[in-house]
Amino acid sequence: MKIKNQTQAKPDYHPQWKLMRVISGHLGWVRCVAVEPDNKWFATGAGDRTIKIWDLASGELKLSLTGHISTVRGLAVSNRHPYLFSCGEDKMVKCWDLESNKVIRHYHGHLSGVYAMAVHPTLDLLVTSGRDSVARVWDMRTRAPVHVLTGHKGTVGAVATQDADPQIITGSMDSTVKLWDLAAGKAMTTLTHHKKSVRSLAVHPTEYSFASGSAGGNNIKKWKCPEGQFVHNFSGHDAVINSLSLNADGVLFSGADNGSMSFWDYKTGLPFQSMSDIPQPGSLDAEAGIFCSTFDQTGSRLITGCADKTIKMYKEVS
Amino acid sequence: MSKRLVAPPYTHRTGWKPSTPQDFGDGGAYPECHIAQYPLEMGRKKAKSSKTLSLTVDGSGKVKYDAIAKQGRGDNAHLIQTSYQDVLPLAKRTDVDNKEMDRPSEDQIAETTERTKAALEKIVGNKIKSSHSREIAGKPAQAQYVRYTPNEGSQRVIQIRDAVEDPLEPPRFKHKKVPRGPPSPPPPILRSPPRKATAAEQKEWMIPPCISNWKNNKGYTIPLDKRLAADGRGLQDVQINDNFAKFSEALFIGERHARDEVRQRNVMQQRLAEKEKLSKEENLRQLAQKAREERSGGTSSGQRAAMPNLAAYGSDSDASESESESEAESDQGVEERERMRREKRNEREREMRISHMGHEQRAKQLAREQNRDISEKVALGLAKPTLSKEAMFDSRLYNQEKLGTSFGDDESYNLYDKPLFHGSSAAAAIYKHRNQDGDDELVGGGTEEGVDNALKNDRFNLGANATKGFEGAELQEAREGPVEFEKDVDPFGVDQFLNEAIQGNNTSKRGLDEAPADSRKRQKARDDDL
Repeated sequence: MKIKNQTQAKPDYHPQWKLMRVISGHLGWVRCVAVEPDNKWFATGAGDRTIKIWDLASGELKLSLTGHISTVRGLAVSNRHPYLFSCGEDKMVKCWDLESNKVIRHYHGHLSGVYAMAVHPTLDLLVTSGRDSVARVWDMRTRAPVHVLTGHKGTVGAVATQDADPQIITGSMDSTVKLWDLAAGKAMTTLTHHKKSVRSLAVHPTEYSFASGSAGGNNIKKWKCPEGQFVHNFSGHDAVINSLSLNADGVLFSGADNGSMSFWDYKTGLPFQSMSDIPQPGSLDAEAGIFCSTFDQTGSRLITGCADKTIKMYKEVS
Repeated sequence: MSKRLVAPPYTHRTGWKPSTPQDFGDGGAYPECHIAQYPLEMGRKKAKSSKTLSLTVDGSGKVKYDAIAKQGRGDNAHLIQTSYQDVLPLAKRTDVDNKEMDRPSEDQIAETTERTKAALEKIVGNKIKSSHSREIAGKPAQAQYVRYTPNEGSQRVIQIRDAVEDPLEPPRFKHKKVPRGPPSPPPPILRSPPRKATAAEQKEWMIPPCISNWKNNKGYTIPLDKRLAADGRGLQDVQINDNFAKFSEALFIGERHARDEVRQRNVMQQRLAEKEKLSKEENLRQLAQKAREERSGGTSSGQRAAMPNLAAYGSDSDASESESESEAESDQGVEERERMRREKRNEREREMRISHMGHEQRAKQLAREQNRDISEKVALGLAKPTLSKEAMFDSRLYNQEKLGTSFGDDESYNLYDKPLFHGSSAAAAIYKHRNQDGDDELVGGGTEEGVDNALKNDRFNLGANATKGFEGAELQEAREGPVEFEKDVDPFGVDQFLNEAIQGNNTSKRGLDEAPADSRKRQKARDDDL
């Protein structure tokens, strides 16, 4: 039965991915990355407390934004406003105006470091989560805290939003994933399948599903929306998954804390490529590690932020 | 409806039971009805809300244990995952009909968005109400006028308006924080419990106890092996890089190679030098032969030429002896050689004697050579041991100027009155050329003999005059070491003579007489020994 099912599920063909460019410029771990909706530039936040904006095509530094006083842990670019949002371990959530490159708003309220953030795709909402084990929903314009989503028992290290229910998904160090009813501000359901802390979430752009990654065995799982039914595992990447990324072609990327990377066919959950991050010359072997990743808007480039203080870009082998 | 509510009239109430509050109307209980009655709900015990859920079963008759997880979840109750099916992959589930994962349509999303937006706006509106500016003070709301008729005949018009509020007045009522409601029931855990760590894993996680070598406030007895483990020295074995071994090996090989090369070069040089020496000797021999032939008038030239290798030339081997005899040299030459031979023999015999001598004897011989043996003097009664104990000093050490160097008086200026390095080997050590190996680039191979040879070599056939130098210079003995200056010695003894003449004593004369006698005696002693 099992074998039959596996033979039935035939994975799509995906070209291999290869390292295209290594950008070194940050002075600390690159903890977060976000690509602009127009696909012209991308922003990275690092342990050196800066946010750097890079040209996507050439990889040149366009701008450095300073203002955080601790590691920048989350970045988000709104697709309906000229705003960049950032959050950091200094408990601050900032809204940068990209026309004047200045901080125009602070969202004050987190009691501890803010580890993840997401912007709602259709509403003027911002969701941040952090070490105070809550996710907070902010009204973008008025800075009012709309909801405080409590219920997690550990640091909330991953948050994702989508325009259909569940509109907010959080993954926490208490090894649960919670799906939230945004209108009511209550948890719809709690997914307890993971064995270790959930550090990453990725929502598929076109399919009504999402993936979550954690440490330990069977650590990447795919879920069906809106109920949060378990779909299947992505088994084979036995490491602490720090980052997951999905593109519209059905390629799931998983980057781990020890620098190992896997590319998966999202439909069937089969891996088609495994690589390991090569730390830049002069860094220790232990500095191979991936903290964040994202596909660009077209899905043809993968940008990863690494523990060796570099940003690495991957592309498909044509 | 009113009919229903009205109780049956009195005496018609048998079998009737008041059940609802309406049955009592405004009144009390009906004494003729023998049941517990609670008019106006008075006296009825409030049913306590029980935390115990009633046992329910599902369609197949199985107990629904997940009711406890789903209680109080309202609409979301169906989302709570409680069954084994929820652990299975979606493809294998039997209870799910819709396995498609299509995104909702645009309309549905728009509807969701609108719904959410409305809900959130309400919340945000409440949250930010305080920050909205109030109505401007001083412009109160429109006053209301009410016509009021307290009783017939009198009527009043009443103006109603809001009391004026101080906008800066602190709030009169304190907001009390509403305690949080009970949390939702914990979700069912759909993962296997964590596996027990194996012994190997536990070992991996073993962190050695914190034992300080400096502090032990509580005075625990810590076993020695724990202390050593805490030390951390034995925890990692030292790994020596291979390159060390490679390096030393390379050094060794290089050194051996260099030594080999040097040795070979030396051998080569030695061979060359030997060759040169041989050729020189050959040359000399030829010269000598030529000279001899000239002297003998070329009589034995043929015989001489038959023996080109004149190894026996000038030596005293028997073969050459007989040959030279047969050659019939001049008598004088024979005599001379005989004498030399004799001397040599004597010398050899003496050497042999010395080498066969005992240790004591040899020491005595040495001492005699240095004029320190006084055994004969003792035998002759010439040398007496010092009698007084106070004066047990070697009288020879007296009146020596050597002692004066460090204890001389301040006024004397005798810093340069003795030769520097006199009699010591330092001068020789400093000024001797010590290159024993022989260097091609130096004169005469750099060795002492080579230099001497080079100096003596009369390359331009100038004869003995060539090395003579200045007139009178040949009187001087060859210098060994630095130029030394001597005290001005009066060659003719004029000063001495004058002093003697002035002082009129003749002690020095006696001293002069003694010296030759002594030397003669010494010579005699040596001859006896041989």
